[in-house]
Amino acid sequence: MKRLLVTTALALIAAMPAFAQEITVGAANVAPYLDPGRDHSNVGSQFYYNTFDVLIERDYDKLEVEWKPGLATEWSIIEPTVMELKLRDDVVFHNGDRMTADDVVFSLNRMYQASFPPYQVRARDRLENFDRAEKVDDFTIRIHAKREEPLWETLINLQQVMIIPEKYTKALSGDPEVAEDSDFEAFSLAPVGTGPYRVAEFVPGERLVYERFDGFWGEKAPLERATVRRIPETASRVTALRTGEADIITNVAPDQLAMLEADPSVKVVGAPTALFHVMIMNQNHERMKDARLRQALSLAVDRNALNEGLWLGKAVVPASHTMEEFGEFHMPELNTFEYNPERAKELLAEAGYNGEEIVYDCQSTYYTNGMLAAQAIVEMWGAVGVNGRVNVIEEWTGGKPEMMVRCWSNPMYFADPFGSFGVMWAPQGPSESEGRFNTDEEYAGIWERFRYSSDTGARKQAYGELMERIEQDAPFLPLYRPYESWAMRTNVNWAPKPGHIPYVLDFRAGSIDFASN
Amino acid sequence: MLSYIARAAARILLTFLVVITLAFAATRLSGNPIDYIAGQGLTQEDRALLIRYYGLDRSVAEQYLAFLKSFFDGEFGLSYVERRPVSVVVAERIWPSLQLLLSSVALTLALSIPLGVLAAIWRNSWVGSAIMSFAFLFYAVPNFVLATFMILVFAYWLNWLPVVGNGSWAHFIMPTIAMSGILIAGLTRFTRNAMLDVLGQDFMRTARAKGLTETEVIFRHGLRNASITILSVIGLQVAGLAAAGSVVVESIFSWPGIGELLVRSAILRDYPVLQFGVIAVSAAVLLINVLVDIAYGFADPRIRFGKA
Repeated sequence: MKRLLVTTALALIAAMPAFAQEITVGAANVAPYLDPGRDHSNVGSQFYYNTFDVLIERDYDKLEVEWKPGLATEWSIIEPTVMELKLRDDVVFHNGDRMTADDVVFSLNRMYQASFPPYQVRARDRLENFDRAEKVDDFTIRIHAKREEPLWETLINLQQVMIIPEKYTKALSGDPEVAEDSDFEAFSLAPVGTGPYRVAEFVPGERLVYERFDGFWGEKAPLERATVRRIPETASRVTALRTGEADIITNVAPDQLAMLEADPSVKVVGAPTALFHVMIMNQNHERMKDARLRQALSLAVDRNALNEGLWLGKAVVPASHTMEEFGEFHMPELNTFEYNPERAKELLAEAGYNGEEIVYDCQSTYYTNGMLAAQAIVEMWGAVGVNGRVNVIEEWTGGKPEMMVRCWSNPMYFADPFGSFGVMWAPQGPSESEGRFNTDEEYAGIWERFRYSSDTGARKQAYGELMERIEQDAPFLPLYRPYESWAMRTNVNWAPKPGHIPYVLDFRAGSIDFASN
Repeated sequence: MLSYIARAAARILLTFLVVITLAFAATRLSGNPIDYIAGQGLTQEDRALLIRYYGLDRSVAEQYLAFLKSFFDGEFGLSYVERRPVSVVVAERIWPSLQLLLSSVALTLALSIPLGVLAAIWRNSWVGSAIMSFAFLFYAVPNFVLATFMILVFAYWLNWLPVVGNGSWAHFIMPTIAMSGILIAGLTRFTRNAMLDVLGQDFMRTARAKGLTETEVIFRHGLRNASITILSVIGLQVAGLAAAGSVVVESIFSWPGIGELLVRSAILRDYPVLQFGVIAVSAAVLLINVLVDIAYGFADPRIRFGKA
């Protein structure tokens, strides 16, 4: 009898791997193309980490930054502007090609020395300081920066510089020896990386099927197959979880939480997203020129009330343009933004505001709760005597001179104030070049110290000074970090990891498993 | 008959040209797609770079000509967001949409014509009243309400039917009912009225007088004569369904068809796909009208000879 039990147990253990670990994800949106280099959308960033690797990894389980070897095993700064990286020699791409320094140099230079316009655009706002990558030997490369770089690892960890195969990409169209625009266009429909899952099937905007890649250099992927399919309607996504058509669903609206939490077959995980919904104000609109008026429009907004009313108190209202994800650069002590209706009234009187109409532009459904927030804000303005009006407009008006106030968002593209505030509010950056934000020499000087000081204290000091300027000039008000939720069947263990940029669906080893029922 | 078809074809060609131009003009009114393709945070310089790359810096006239030209190369242009030929993007989706349309039309015909005839024959009994009450109810319920209600009951509570996509026959049940609910209701009412008109005619009395059975009277003389009215209503309603109904129902049931594609391309401002999608739906509407026109000719020989 004992022997029978042992054999049965052994047989059961042997049979266990036969349970194919497969999941289906019901996503509100599936990316229309898959190229980590050109993409920085919230939709796209869900998908890259399963399929592609970066040279320098970080421990995503932690909020604090801790760098780990990725495709590079070690790295060091050999000259003030040069970093040398040793590469793993056991890495294979999903198409069978072995990864060498050539692929890495190609991947980096496709961004650093971009000729393909979508890459040029992405490189300009964050990789401007990188001149080129060069091969030293088959498994050693060097990266040359233009100036001393305080954010080496951060900027090598970016999604945009994930590694892709050179030969495969160049051969996708036209001359197989040359990287043409059409090669990169073709790559985005047939992506190949070195990650634990290969893209087995991709119907743009519709369906993406990952399959475990057995040649992966790291720990084996826990899932054999993961299918992500688009289910645009919230009610249908939630129902798909009940019918078993989906194991995980994304983008659960705040008003669905109570219903899902009451369901024993389902569990919900959520986190404040590393992204601010912001209200931007046009410094150059005739009616908006007086900084006191803009300050008043900001001081009149009770952001905690918005959080309670729209997000069940789960969103995070920031004291400054700062997030915990910035690590040592998280500076809530700056207290840049506050609610002070009395002060708002005084400022309005000082500015000689006389009931002129202030228009708040916002799309109807683009931002979760965006339209409700707009309506509430205009009411809050009304309480201090501002004559506001919501203008529902689907078009992006941020670059139009007639725009006065509008809704927008500032995502965190990487975990540093430069990756969030920096991308949007740099001198000559998007906001200034659209003509609604002004900088001067003083601002540019502070910016210099913020971006390039090698000393952490000096960078923090400069960031504080930038926030003082923002408080005075009032070009925007961060409203809150929205709260994002995912729901899943109770046997699935998955949660967004604190070290990732927002929305990453990480299915690597240690990130997802199944509870034994 | 040939000249009849030729005239119908000429009319269609003209309508089609108007549709193409309107589709082109309407999509240009909704903002620059670059703001949707590239995401937020572009400097003006980079925005201009991408506008050039996507060919959006060309004049409207040039873009219009390129658009017309794309009809001849058979690719209908390149999707801005997917970077695939529009023909490929749309081709993937025609069959699922057509399947749903056909199953909806089949269900509509199978239910509403018998129900309408019964309601006419038994117009004074409770059966007739019951049929008409249901017809009114379904006529008043919009398809998205019907769809959501069915999802709640049959998927969320009872867990009997799937809600996502078109993977099996079971996937067809709810979308088909959601698509055809209003059609069945409408057509049942029209069939009943058309039959009532016919039932009181002199030739019906004649048919009975010459000794035909009641079934023969109703089907050979009654329904045949009522069919012209019924046909035009089917044509109109199916055309409307292809255009509007599919957009809502496909989105709700994540049905990989043209309607769902239209919604997505409208949100993303993917002009080439959106334009072609609008044109494809218009083409379907026109095609249905032609089929109805031709069917008229068969149902009523007078129309065929251009005398009506």
